[in-house]
Amino acid sequence: MTASHVQGGPLGRGNMDGSRRWPEHLDAVIEEFQACFDAMERYELLFSYSKRHPSPLPQEEWDDDNQVHGCQSRAHVICTVDESGGFLLRGGADAQIVQGLMAVTAIAVNGMDPADVAGMEPDYAEEMGIRSSLTPSRANGFLNMFKRVTEEAALLL
Amino acid sequence: MALDIEDIRADFPILARTLPNGKRLVYFDNAATSQKPQCVIDAMSEYYEHYNSNAHRANHTLADEATTALEGARERISSYFGTSPDQMIYTSGATEAINLAAYGWARENLSEGDVVVLTEMEHHADIVPWQQMSVDNGIEVRYVPIDTASFTLDMDAFEVAIEGASLVCVVHTSNVLGVRNPIENIIEMSHAAGARVLIDCAQGAPHERIDFDSLGADFVAISAHKMAGPTGIGCLLVRRDAMAEMGPFMTGGSMIKRVSTEGSTFQEGHAMFETGTPRIAEAIGWGAAVEWLDQFDMREVHEHINDIASWTASRMREIPGIRIYGDPDREDSSGAVSFLHEDIQSQDLALLLDEGGFAVRTGHHCAQPLMDALGVPSTNRASFWIYNTMGEAESFVQYLEEVVDRFA
Repeated sequence: MTASHVQGGPLGRGNMDGSRRWPEHLDAVIEEFQACFDAMERYELLFSYSKRHPSPLPQEEWDDDNQVHGCQSRAHVICTVDESGGFLLRGGADAQIVQGLMAVTAIAVNGMDPADVAGMEPDYAEEMGIRSSLTPSRANGFLNMFKRVTEEAALLL
Repeated sequence: MALDIEDIRADFPILARTLPNGKRLVYFDNAATSQKPQCVIDAMSEYYEHYNSNAHRANHTLADEATTALEGARERISSYFGTSPDQMIYTSGATEAINLAAYGWARENLSEGDVVVLTEMEHHADIVPWQQMSVDNGIEVRYVPIDTASFTLDMDAFEVAIEGASLVCVVHTSNVLGVRNPIENIIEMSHAAGARVLIDCAQGAPHERIDFDSLGADFVAISAHKMAGPTGIGCLLVRRDAMAEMGPFMTGGSMIKRVSTEGSTFQEGHAMFETGTPRIAEAIGWGAAVEWLDQFDMREVHEHINDIASWTASRMREIPGIRIYGDPDREDSSGAVSFLHEDIQSQDLALLLDEGGFAVRTGHHCAQPLMDALGVPSTNRASFWIYNTMGEAESFVQYLEEVVDRFA
């Protein structure tokens, strides 16, 4: 998947030009992480984002169907479209680092055309400097969550 | 003679490395796998550089050298474990060893209604094969609970569970709790009840000298990679009379006497169970590892590890929110210290510790029934071995305090 395949949809949110593989409105968040002094400060910021999830999924709604399997932590997502047809990621995780990455992902994808979400890549996490988020471990909570989100987006088409 | 830890560390090149963030590695994930001394790395390289060939297959010089090295390693390893080469079957590790006991012995000898006793403390490797055997052959699987206050096996329940059992399978030392089970009593009680006994020594072998012949267990499963050896090799030690009751598990090349279109006949003894091309380099590497370990008194090694584990656990208990699972203060506990923080989720804590250079394990440790008994989904685990130092433990506790201060 190249950047040219994930151009923003008609909803006017989530436009991605040729130089980035994430929606433009995520740039400010990425810059915030890039401004951190070191990895521990980035983790502190992620912990902070974990409490600012734009569309959290309360624990009462966590069940087997919405569980992201393969994570060391518990993670749950429900993907739908909102009233205007934009993608809506509701999610929750017991690990704050996964929850923080989920919050950033929700900031990225909420309101986007599901077709664009289905074609997204998780490069923004690397750009944020979250090294551990992209290791190819079977137990990588973020990657499992991201894969589930893009798969569910494809099902919404 | 006291252990010279700095001298020991010098044998492990990996311990000198730094991580991508510039932090010096502090390796506390030894219960998952140990690091390898240079002599093991050299022995394996030498095989590939100078005499790589298939063992037991040909009549040329390289094949002779490879066969001699493979069987020489078996001599060395079986001797280290206090037994003879004919009672040792090479496997890929403890998991395959237990599967070999299940499919090679239990499938041949147990049928519907026969009882296999396990404990809640077992690794999945010593649970799932028996559950599958239950599905396939209708055996009954009984579980001995643990006392969650003392983190030890409920031996009263054990005594009841083994009545009428055909096989008792118990882990020597818990990979989660570091608890060493009273395996001598367990073997004696199980034999008195008429059951054969399998001891999973994956965690026990790196911490004490396993003397198979005097231990008296019928089966002992061991992995090389937790005791300075390479991954991909281990063994099942089997008493001669138990081996005589076993049938083939994996079939194919090497384990046959004669194959025709009408059928096949099989080798006898350990050769019946070593199918296909052997793990030659790995066996040679493991042979070098036991030779390296043989220079130490394992009681001193255990004391060194136990000192670090008990000191670390005692200091960790002083950190607000930390709870220890297990009892590292017991003199027979291994180097595993499982813990959780009440606010910082285990995976988060592991990633934060990794940023400080500390490699610890996180998760259910392939022991979900034990996690269920403890009422937790996962733990963090620091596990120490021969080359770890009290200085590393001190820096770990200090860093953990900083992490808790900052993130809790």
